[in-house]
Amino acid sequence: MLVVLGFIVSGTGGVVAYFLPAVTTAFKVTGQATTGKGAKNPKLQAVSNPPPPGQPFTVLLLGSDNDTKFVSSHVLTQTMILVRVDPATHHAVMLSIPRDLWVSLASGGSAKIDSAYAYGGAQDAIQTVESDFNVPVNYWAWIGLGGLVNLVDQLGGVDTIAQMPVLDVQYPYDLTGTNPYANQRIAILPGPQRLEGVNALTYVRSRHGALLEDIARNQKQQELLVDIKDSAKHMNLTDIPRIASALGDEVRTDMSLTQISSIAGLARDFSNGNVTQIVMLSQYYSNQTINGQDALVPNWSAINTLIAQNFPS
Amino acid sequence: MSARQLLASLATLALMAVFGFVVYSVLGTLQTKANTSVDPTQEQALLALPGTVYLAENGSLYSLHGLTFTKLATPAGDWYQVAPGPGGDLLAVDKGNGYSNLYLLSPTGQVLRTLLTESSSQYFDNHFVFYPRLSANGQTLFYAWNWIDPYADYNVDFEIQSVPLSNPGAYPTQWSIPNNYQGGDVEPLPTANGGLIYAKYATNSQTGATYSQLAYVTSPEGTINYLTTPAQNCSEPSLNPAGNEIAMICTNNKLQSDTLQVASWNGTSLGSPTVVSQGPMAAMPTWSPSGNSLIFMNVPSRGDPFQLYWIPKAGSAKPGAAQEVTQNLSLNALSAPVWVS
Repeated sequence: MLVVLGFIVSGTGGVVAYFLPAVTTAFKVTGQATTGKGAKNPKLQAVSNPPPPGQPFTVLLLGSDNDTKFVSSHVLTQTMILVRVDPATHHAVMLSIPRDLWVSLASGGSAKIDSAYAYGGAQDAIQTVESDFNVPVNYWAWIGLGGLVNLVDQLGGVDTIAQMPVLDVQYPYDLTGTNPYANQRIAILPGPQRLEGVNALTYVRSRHGALLEDIARNQKQQELLVDIKDSAKHMNLTDIPRIASALGDEVRTDMSLTQISSIAGLARDFSNGNVTQIVMLSQYYSNQTINGQDALVPNWSAINTLIAQNFPS
Repeated sequence: MSARQLLASLATLALMAVFGFVVYSVLGTLQTKANTSVDPTQEQALLALPGTVYLAENGSLYSLHGLTFTKLATPAGDWYQVAPGPGGDLLAVDKGNGYSNLYLLSPTGQVLRTLLTESSSQYFDNHFVFYPRLSANGQTLFYAWNWIDPYADYNVDFEIQSVPLSNPGAYPTQWSIPNNYQGGDVEPLPTANGGLIYAKYATNSQTGATYSQLAYVTSPEGTINYLTTPAQNCSEPSLNPAGNEIAMICTNNKLQSDTLQVASWNGTSLGSPTVVSQGPMAAMPTWSPSGNSLIFMNVPSRGDPFQLYWIPKAGSAKPGAAQEVTQNLSLNALSAPVWVS
C-alpha cells in the first residue's frame, strides 16, 4: 500500500513539476492573481464579471504598441476588439473600436479611446467602453507586440489568405532593431501566407499603405484571431506550460485558467461562418481635428443601432 | 532491517523517483508538434506528375520530377517566385531585406544573368520586384514593381512594368496605374495577342471591402477591360497552354474561402466560370503542359500549412477530385509552382 502511495506521490510530483511554469505564469498574468488578497499587479485589478453559465458573454481584447518608445506602464491600446460569444448558438461577433474615436473617458474628460488604458489600466478601458457603448464587459485580455509574436510562434505559425498586397516603406523597426524610431521596408504578397510570429504582427500592424489605414488593420486583426483559432486546433493541455512560458508578461487578463480553458474549448467548436466581423467605417464617425489631434467624432446614433443589433443585452 | 531489505527499499525509492521523471517526460512528449515544414528533398511526392514542377520553399528553389524533389544550386539568398524563362531557363526573385532582385537562372539554378537590381544604399531607392513573367514571344519581361510616390511616401503600390529581355536596363514601360493606397497591380499574365491580364486590387471605402479584379489591357496604360466583378474577387490568373482557358482564384465575397475556378477566354472576355475546387483556401493555380490538369495550393484543413494539389480534367465540365501531391511542405504566395514539360 505504501509503495503504491509512493508511486502516486512521485507521479503527482512529475505532473506538478511539468505544469509549474504555467501555474507560475498564471498567477502573474491571469485572474488567478486577482481573486485573493495578495494581488500584486494593479493592472489586473479590473472587475471580473462572470456571466451566468451558458449565457452570452463579452470580452474586451486590448493590444498595445509597447515597444521601448513607450513607458511600459502607460501604453495606448491601438487595438480594441469587443467580442460577444453566445455559447448556446455558437455564434460570435467581433467589433473593432477605432483607436482614434473621441469619447468620454471613465477617468474624466474626453480623449481618444486608446488613451483610457494608458490613464487607468484595464479597469478604465472597460468602464469607458461600458459607459460609452452601453455594453457590459465580462472579461478582458491585453497583449503586447512580443506577446502576439510569441503566441503565433508557439502555434507554429498561422496560415491565412492575405487579402491584398501589404507594402510599407516606413514600418517600425522597433522589435528587432536597436533604434525604436527606425523604419524598415516590408512586403507581404496577397494570397496564401504562412505567417510566423513577426510576419503575423507585421501583417496586422502595418497601416501606411492602406486606404482605410487603421480600419484596414482592424480587419486584418480580426482575420488573424480566426486564423489563430484554426491553428490552435491541435493544441492540448500539455502545450500550456510552453505557451505560458513564452508569453510571460506580454499577456494579461482577468480570466482565470479555468475560464480561459472553457472559452478555448468553446472557440474550437465554432465554425468560421458563425463569426461576424465588424469594423466601424465612415458612417459611424466624422473626421475632425480636436486639440491638434486627428480624431474620429462618433456618430452615436449609428453606433447605438449597430450595438443594439449585435450586442443585445 | 536486513541488508537485502534495505537494498529493496532503496531500489523502490529509486523506481518511484524514476517514475516521477517518466511522468514529467511523457507529458512533454504529448505536446503538439508545431507545424514545421520539412525540406522538400526529404519528402517524396504522393503523385508522379509528368514533366517537371518548380517551386520555392523557405528561400530555396526546388524541382519535382517524378516523386523526387531536387534543390536547385542557387547562390546564397532568399529565392522565390520561379517562372519559365527563355529556352528552358528560369526567372526567379531573390528577396533581400527591404528589396528584391530578379535573375535569369539555368534549370539547375546557376545565375546566368542579373535582370533587375532594386537594392540601393539610398533608403527610398530600394524597391520590391515580384511576379516575373515572359511574354508569349519570349522577348519581353513583365513584372510587378513598387513605386514610391515622391510627394507621399506612404503611397507605394505595385504597378506592372515591362522591359526587353535583351536589355532589362532599358527604361521600363509602365502598363498599369494602381489605385492609390490599395495594394496595387500584381500577377501579370501576358497574352498571345500582345495584351496583358493582371490582378488589380481595390478597396471600397464605403463597405470596407478589399477585392481584386482581373483586368485586361491591350497596350501600356490602355483602357481597362475588367474580366471579373468586384463581388467575384478574383486573382492569380493562369492561362492554359492552348490560350483559351484561364484558371483563377475567386472568393465570391466570402472571407478566407478561396475557390479554384476555370473560365473560357476568347482573347477579349471570360466565359462563365466553373468551380473546380472549393478550396477552402485554394491558391496559385498552374496548368499542366498538356493543359488537361492543374496543380494548385490548398490546405488539408483550416489551420494546416499549404500543400501542393493536383486536379485532373481541370478544364472539363466534370473535373476529377483534387489529390494531394505533398503532405509536409509549407508553401505561400512566394512559392507559386510552375509546370513545364
